[in-house]
Amino acid sequence: MRREASDDAHRLTRRALLGGGALGALAAGLSGCGAGGGAGGAQEITLYQNKREAIDFFRGLVSEFNEAHSGRIRVIHDTTPGSLSAQFARSTPPALGAYNYNFEMSRFQERGELSDLSDLAEKADIRPAVQDLVDQYPTYPGRTSVIPYSIMGSGVLYNQEVFERHGLEVPTTYSEFLELCGTLRDAGVTPIYQTSGDAWTLAQGVTDYAIGGMLDVAGFFERLRGQGDAAGPDAEVSFSHAFREPFERALEIHSFANSNAASRKYGDGNVAFAQGDAAMYFQGPWALTEIDTINPDARIGVFPLPMTEDPADRKIRVNLDLALWIPESIPHPDAARELLDFLITPELADEYNQANLGFGVRNDSPPIADPRMNDLQGYVDRAAFYQGASVSIPRTILYENYVQGVMTGDSVEGMLRTLDEDWARLARRQ
Amino acid sequence: MSTATEQIATTRADGSRVNPGRGRGRRKVEGVFYLFLLPVLALFTLSITLPAVMGIFFSFTDSVGFGEFNVIGFTNYAVIFSDPAILRAYGFTIGVALCSVVLVNVVALALALGLTSKIKGKTALRTIFVLPMVVSGIIIAFVFRFIFANSLPAAATALGIGPLEESLVSNPSLAWVTIVLVTAFQAAPPAMLIYIAGLMTIPRDVYEASAIDGARPWQQFRHITLPLVSGYVLINMIIGFKDFLSTYEIVVGLTDGGPGTSTVSVAMAIFRGFERGDYAYQMANSTIFFLITLAIALIQLRVTRGRARF
Amino acid sequence: MTMQTTLDTPGGDDPASSREPLASSEQVRPTRRRSSPARTWIVTILLVLGACVVLLPFVVAVSMAFKTEAQAVQGQAFALPSPWSIEGFQQAWTLTSFPRSFAISLVVTASATVGTVLLSAMASYAISRNWNRRLFRWSFFYLLAAMFLPFPVLALSQVKLTGMVGLANPGGVVLLHIMFQMSFSVLLFTAFLRSLPEELEESARIDGASTWRTFWTVVFPLMMPMAATVGIFAMLKGWNDFMMPSMIIADPALQTLPVIQQVFQDQFSNNYHVSFASYLLAIVPAIFAYVLSQRWVMSGLTQGAIK
Repeated sequence: MRREASDDAHRLTRRALLGGGALGALAAGLSGCGAGGGAGGAQEITLYQNKREAIDFFRGLVSEFNEAHSGRIRVIHDTTPGSLSAQFARSTPPALGAYNYNFEMSRFQERGELSDLSDLAEKADIRPAVQDLVDQYPTYPGRTSVIPYSIMGSGVLYNQEVFERHGLEVPTTYSEFLELCGTLRDAGVTPIYQTSGDAWTLAQGVTDYAIGGMLDVAGFFERLRGQGDAAGPDAEVSFSHAFREPFERALEIHSFANSNAASRKYGDGNVAFAQGDAAMYFQGPWALTEIDTINPDARIGVFPLPMTEDPADRKIRVNLDLALWIPESIPHPDAARELLDFLITPELADEYNQANLGFGVRNDSPPIADPRMNDLQGYVDRAAFYQGASVSIPRTILYENYVQGVMTGDSVEGMLRTLDEDWARLARRQ
Repeated sequence: MSTATEQIATTRADGSRVNPGRGRGRRKVEGVFYLFLLPVLALFTLSITLPAVMGIFFSFTDSVGFGEFNVIGFTNYAVIFSDPAILRAYGFTIGVALCSVVLVNVVALALALGLTSKIKGKTALRTIFVLPMVVSGIIIAFVFRFIFANSLPAAATALGIGPLEESLVSNPSLAWVTIVLVTAFQAAPPAMLIYIAGLMTIPRDVYEASAIDGARPWQQFRHITLPLVSGYVLINMIIGFKDFLSTYEIVVGLTDGGPGTSTVSVAMAIFRGFERGDYAYQMANSTIFFLITLAIALIQLRVTRGRARF
Repeated sequence: MTMQTTLDTPGGDDPASSREPLASSEQVRPTRRRSSPARTWIVTILLVLGACVVLLPFVVAVSMAFKTEAQAVQGQAFALPSPWSIEGFQQAWTLTSFPRSFAISLVVTASATVGTVLLSAMASYAISRNWNRRLFRWSFFYLLAAMFLPFPVLALSQVKLTGMVGLANPGGVVLLHIMFQMSFSVLLFTAFLRSLPEELEESARIDGASTWRTFWTVVFPLMMPMAATVGIFAMLKGWNDFMMPSMIIADPALQTLPVIQQVFQDQFSNNYHVSFASYLLAIVPAIFAYVLSQRWVMSGLTQGAIK
């Protein structure tokens, strides 16, 4: 419904906004520098990629590409952490994004801000199970708006030394897991290190794992969206109903956490876990890089958090760590497409994934080499994975904060009701 | 702020008296005056008025800040009034603003009385008390976050003060207190300066006369000082309240809205809405916020009118 | 932080010519309240205690900033550094690109201050000398109305607009600072101009000077005391503001000092010695400037207060 109605209104505001041009003229003296033409007729395009760990890798690719296209295309590598919304709102989006893909990104494609890449997608040879991950969020009909590049898998990081010292095995069922936590606690070891001071660490960690391990996340959200603004605590599909048990279990798990969890932040967690202050830590592979720097000798493994009594139910949380897209209205779309074509070269993509503990997205991607992550390869291969609930809820609903609230004492029931009502309110207005 | 309007009223009322020689007939206005005024008006219109109008327009759409959108009438407004997150933000913001206003004024008046009494080292003390006002609020908040989250619990543990061993900023029912305290820390100096200025205008013979009558210090304060500075109290409350309503950086620095959503201020809700794809909705919120600010200003104006002549 | 007050002070005290009201208070009113020595001591002690509270965060900052990494990780603010180390400052210096962000903050502050003083002085002069003209009178109220507009209300639209016209940079921040200071500054200046005797202007005119010349050679210099007040407020805002630059400036490399400090909240949250060193680097220039120009600042601020 949005699609057909909006064009007129859109044009109208664009015109209204042209008034701003006068402001520009008056203020030109203040701003000094302008966009400036590219030197020597080369088309200047911006690659927006700000995942810290990957910056060096992409910097190399960019200079390689620039050399090969010297005089014709010049790529500027923008690595600054900034608000993507603001860039689009300013009408100055990057020519090519290599960016985390989740519900947030779908906002851009759903509003028609990303161009169609279906021809390039064919060449990218994406695994159907991976393409499913993209399509779990609202897309723009008839367009392939993003091309996945890398998948990150996460589970419970555990200190192998601590496990060995206490003769513990990786748990495969929920009761085994609780038992293990109890054993550790009785032995005077902090079973789990939690960092509630940073709300996101809880939301992407313990609660995402609990929800993903117990229910079909994508299916739940699809049915929820299907309900439109009929959503609510008493609707057929609701958070109140579906998330209750996972949250209760998450709280049960959280009770095994360090006593000062409430005021600890992500950085504290990495240090503490690297130094062996706790046996387990609910973080993704991104934390491994930090942990390696803090204590290179730490022997860390990873396992999926078992949430049922059937070991076959175990699944890992994945996220499309990088996906490529090209905005609809940019000055040099062809140059951007050339760069994208270059980036999806299989050798480059594989190299990237091996170096960054990511899993490949093509039908013929090789398995991951890192021994820690290799334990998860099987789950990726048989698509025993889910995208976190925390990244499937529009961020305008303060879900992370709600999770943090629950972990510091709010009632689960009340929080889930709020969540349902928030969802309904959002459905009414967007 | 509303004293500003008070000023306007005065100007309008006796404009002719104020500009005695300026009404020299209906001479043509010199072009240079337009040159002085019009650029300012134009820039002001483009950078203040236009955004305001734009914001109001988008509050009637479902825009996420970019891309396609529909005009959806008053839906955003209808939803806001049933949104507990927004209502809580208003409750929190107004509550914190009220508490801050009281605390700031009590502290500022006490300091002003102290600094105008006959004591040693006044200049040095005054220099110190003004210090928080020259330092960026966000940095003050960052430092206090560290103090509340690390230093205070550590000190409390060492001294065995049980209740303070938990970090105040991560306590959902007490985090707001830290915001009020830090707000007062930063906002007391300007209020204090206004009080000092006000106390200087009280003629000393009033005190002398009352002292002869045997008035005690507290009675002097209660019956002389307080009535005479009440105008300044009002000014401070008005200025402070308006500023505290848009509290943002102290919240960002101390709690970032947490724990949970217990300290999300209205300004923070508006900014977050934009970053998180709720542009139109938060523009509706902004519009309401503006109307509330305006209403409070007008109410304050009425109250001040009655008491401005002290 | 703002003190937009324009109280019509009773009695004809001309605040413009107020001479250091605070410092000289003792001589003016030697016996403002009857005070026994004991009471004086109690007041002094209380104020000193209060001053200690005010200084506490600064002491904490200094104590943390000069620690080594190993000491800082322990987070013991009240233990003095041993040994004292400038490691934190070195790291903060490079991490925040201090020279660049300092320069940006400085340029933003200076331009915003000069711009605010000049533009509002000119507009105020035009308004106050043509008060009987509707356009000028109404302009006054129009400019003043912005005092009721909180920044958050405008911010999002300003982000869009500044982006579209290539002002999503410190230049845009300067422009917006000037415009946000306009209401308050015009208010102060017009009030001041009303108290200015017109004979001075008249005599300049008789000598054949144009309005333009009269303004710059006679009126503007006379406006200096109030310009100091207007300028100090613009300066404090320009140097310390967080909200607006954080929204408007698109390129983080061009951010102002207060906004840059955010980097320590997420990325380097454990390097307390670095973050506190960086905070000190950001606030010391302001404190330094304040202490040096203290008397001047104090009278300027007080004048804003009673005007």
